[in-house]
Amino acid sequence: MVALPLAIAWFGAVLLAPLNGRKRWVGWLAIALLSANLGTLVWLSVDVLRHGAQQVVAGGWEPGVGITLRADELGVVFAVVSIGALLVALAYEVINGVHESFFPTLVLFMATGLTGIFLTGDVFNFYVFFEISMASAFVLSGYGRQGQQMRAALIFIVVNLLGSVIFLSGITALYHVTGTLDMGQISRFMGEQRASSSILIGVLLLVAFSIKLGLFPFHFWLPPIYRDSWPAVAAIFAGALANIGSYGLIRFGAELLEPELRFGAPVLLFLGSVSIIYGALQAITVRTAREALAYSAIGNAGYILIGLAIGGSAGYFAAVFFALVNPVNKVILFLASDLHGWLAGAAFAVGTFSVAGIPPSAGFFGKLLLFRASIDAGNAWLVGLIFVGSALSLLYMLRIYQRGYWADGIPGTLSPFRARSLVLSVAILVVGVGLWPEPLLSVGQKAADVLLTGGH
Amino acid sequence: MILLLSLTVAVLFGSGAYLLMKRDLLRVAAGIILISNSSVLFIMAAALYRGVAPIYPLPANGKISDPLVQSMALTAIVISFGFTTLLLSLIYRVYVLHHSVDQEDLADAERLADEALEPEHVWR
Repeated sequence: MVALPLAIAWFGAVLLAPLNGRKRWVGWLAIALLSANLGTLVWLSVDVLRHGAQQVVAGGWEPGVGITLRADELGVVFAVVSIGALLVALAYEVINGVHESFFPTLVLFMATGLTGIFLTGDVFNFYVFFEISMASAFVLSGYGRQGQQMRAALIFIVVNLLGSVIFLSGITALYHVTGTLDMGQISRFMGEQRASSSILIGVLLLVAFSIKLGLFPFHFWLPPIYRDSWPAVAAIFAGALANIGSYGLIRFGAELLEPELRFGAPVLLFLGSVSIIYGALQAITVRTAREALAYSAIGNAGYILIGLAIGGSAGYFAAVFFALVNPVNKVILFLASDLHGWLAGAAFAVGTFSVAGIPPSAGFFGKLLLFRASIDAGNAWLVGLIFVGSALSLLYMLRIYQRGYWADGIPGTLSPFRARSLVLSVAILVVGVGLWPEPLLSVGQKAADVLLTGGH
Repeated sequence: MILLLSLTVAVLFGSGAYLLMKRDLLRVAAGIILISNSSVLFIMAAALYRGVAPIYPLPANGKISDPLVQSMALTAIVISFGFTTLLLSLIYRVYVLHHSVDQEDLADAERLADEALEPEHVWR
């Protein structure tokens, strides 16, 4: 049952590969396959949230020998959010008309990689699935541009290949120290032993995931690619691909290398704060809406780092919740920023409020939890930082909104009604979560508890 | 031996990182190849040791060499091979479009294309 969503995405991707993705029925077939993947993931998450984590060892080997697929509360919620974001972006592109034939199959391959990443209990398997989704991302970065604007794509590919090599070195070193690739065994070993090289491993993994997520000193590849790629692709990058970075930081930092995370907390706090301020200030100064959204993504990644640095139940809860809500906001904003008409404007406004953390929106609870965690930690300086960050994000988001939707004489015809209503329905979901947050809050709390108990 | 291997890894990674900063895209690709090979060597240096082939039935005495390291190195080789192919094909695409693989030329061409699009592309 754990392997079912993975199998659907994988076989679906292979099935779609020889077909011409520009044909409408192929697009709808891809949507059906991805929906089936999402449906089984939701079913799996309900089961996991009720009865606890599930595990399958590939090839009938005994646990500890074979490669394990593991579905726990943290993994399944990330999988559902990421695949949901992929599905929205795919549906948006199919409604607007797919430009190149490889688009549906690559989205399915990325879904395979993402499902695998979130449902694996083996660090090397994590690396392999990570590379599957990165490979799809590399090809998608050139989508819809007929080969123009290749420079941003090349920088994106080279920097992320470097990040992958750093990640591979990190897990090799982890294997060298612990002698196992199983996440549960590594977590137990790291909790008991003090290896002298574990700090170095922590640094390698932090750098690798920071590159994926686009945190402050490793962000330079991100704004050009978010600016130059197609709206649906930008939504996929910000809404699904960036989750690898946040999930990796949470999983590897807070579960596998917990003592090292506590040791490095001041560094995380510093990097997170700089990301928030830098992202917000850059977002205010840049000229285009897409660039402002890209810098906003850099700033928002900083909040996840702050949550991890605070630590404990409250800190991890805030980090997990924020990491789940933020990609949904970005999907709305990137898709709506390319549409015309008041439905899209309303969706964009909801995304704006959610990023700034104004109720009733899901983003409000992300900020609220961070506030609570920093007050619990007794850090007045952090409370001030989050307040200033939110105020700045409201400023730049309203500025984008004003230029995009209020200014006179914006060229462009009304976009397809179905595309606008699709984006609006995601926005309604965000408001719905803001009005009735209990289910998502309890799911987020369960996911964060996995980190504290080790979940094994 | 360990010192020799780690020095090799360091030299490979260092030369690769140096090549990444070059303007010529083919040199950048060469840098990526060197860096990914240094990581394969790092995998083997980290955990590979001499021993009997790990095939069932295992011999009762004698050291068995670790099969995981070999499979990890193989997987890493395959993945880096795939990415190198992808990168080289993209660079070829750049060459077909711009008749140059120099990053500066590419940047100039894109700046011109950007300026041509400027009026409607700002703030939309």
